[in-house]
Amino acid sequence: MRLTGVGRRYGIGGPWVLRDVGMELPAGALLRVQGANGSGKSTLLRVIAGIDAPDAGRVEGRPRTAYVPERFPAALPFTATGYLTTMGRVHGLGRAAAARAAGEWLERFGAGHHARTRLSQLSKGTSQKVAVAQGLLAAPGLLVLDEAWTGLDPASRTVLDRAVADRVADGGTVVFVDHDPGRLAGRADAFFRVEAGRVRREREAVPVAEDRVRIEAEGPAGAELPPALPGDPACEPVPGGRPGAVRLTVGAAHSDELLRTLLAARPAWHIHAVTPREANR
Amino acid sequence: MTALLRYQATLLIRSHRWLAPLLFHGILLCIGVRPGEPVLDSFAYAAAVLLPTTAWLVRVCVTNEPPAARACAAAAVGPVRAHLAALLTALLASAALGTACAAVVAAVGAPRSTDHRVAVPLLPATLAGLVAALVCALLGVAVGALCNRPLLRSTAWAVPGTMLVACLALFVWGSPARAALSRLTAGSISGSVPVPLPPLAFAAVLAAGATAVACAVSRRRE
Repeated sequence: MRLTGVGRRYGIGGPWVLRDVGMELPAGALLRVQGANGSGKSTLLRVIAGIDAPDAGRVEGRPRTAYVPERFPAALPFTATGYLTTMGRVHGLGRAAAARAAGEWLERFGAGHHARTRLSQLSKGTSQKVAVAQGLLAAPGLLVLDEAWTGLDPASRTVLDRAVADRVADGGTVVFVDHDPGRLAGRADAFFRVEAGRVRREREAVPVAEDRVRIEAEGPAGAELPPALPGDPACEPVPGGRPGAVRLTVGAAHSDELLRTLLAARPAWHIHAVTPREANR
Repeated sequence: MTALLRYQATLLIRSHRWLAPLLFHGILLCIGVRPGEPVLDSFAYAAAVLLPTTAWLVRVCVTNEPPAARACAAAAVGPVRAHLAALLTALLASAALGTACAAVVAAVGAPRSTDHRVAVPLLPATLAGLVAALVCALLGVAVGALCNRPLLRSTAWAVPGTMLVACLALFVWGSPARAALSRLTAGSISGSVPVPLPPLAFAAVLAAGATAVACAVSRRRE
């Protein structure tokens, strides 16, 4: 699939939200779209998904498509299963296949017990699960996710991460926007940045440069580090140090909290050294 | 398309938003159609009432989905087909309503001319009444398609606009609805049964044109 010279504006004579966008969307690729609020990410996704036609340029070779919006406050007069089965048919599945897929995806997202609940009575998170299931149930060739993870619980986010990986492995194209920079980290094949109406390809996500703090600490003999340390520090033995001495490297924002946790542990950890390390800028 | 129509029809039925236009239609019909009145006049009246009702049903169908759900359906089948399904659902609902009302008129009306002197054959008269109803339904779809989303998005414009244009479409010179209804009333006076086929063809062309415009615009804006 390919976008050539695509432009999009709202209203005749309105300002261009997107201009001269060229994008290559190969099969079997995971593509991430980034950009500031209001930069036109969602507009780009709507054009890619075929919900809006471009006002300039052309979009070619779009496969069967599914779209998942950020919020799905669907005041629709359906039950969860009813909506998913109907949408499965709209996506081109047969009656039996649609019903089966609807049940399977609700189960996978842990919403099986809401199968017969009306959409208007579902919580925000469960509504979002229905929207995501709608996008996945017909195994589309192109899946467009506009912050689809927002509102999902951690378990469901993992399920969605895995489903996205499966779609890509099956030769589908997945395009996504998410506010979490760590979302599907290391899995995306290409990054696109939307800025001032233009879209440019980036080599990879630029990690945010962050000041870090190195803490050397030693625990009581044979003690394990306390679980769930603040800031999720990188942990290694101190080179040439005594057995039991560890070096923890953590973002500066979490260093005080990490120290507090180590000192508050029973039995307490002994701090040998705290060294700030400025990020390379 | 069948799956889309089923989706839209389920939305329409379960949303209960058809109740208001149905009551509107029913009340006007109760006022205007009396048992024992000349059947062709009653057919003309029933068809005329169907025009604004259909335009209202179109408004119900094209505004039934929340934007997020509309986007999901539009991504699956394209915005043109998604919008077309909404318009077709309204047309089918209106055709069903028109048929039911024609059956009632045929049952209660007197198969006689306006002055009750000439007998009017009931079967051809019913056919003429059905065709007139279809003319008005098609014109109602055209009015509804042009006066609502995606062309007129603000409720403040769309609702009065729909009703005003629907009434105009009944009376304005050159309208196929007016042509069909005058054929029926003229036939009632003379005691003959003219099936208004030319207005039907014209109304079909108008409905197709308006539908094409609305569907094309739905690719560009919400």
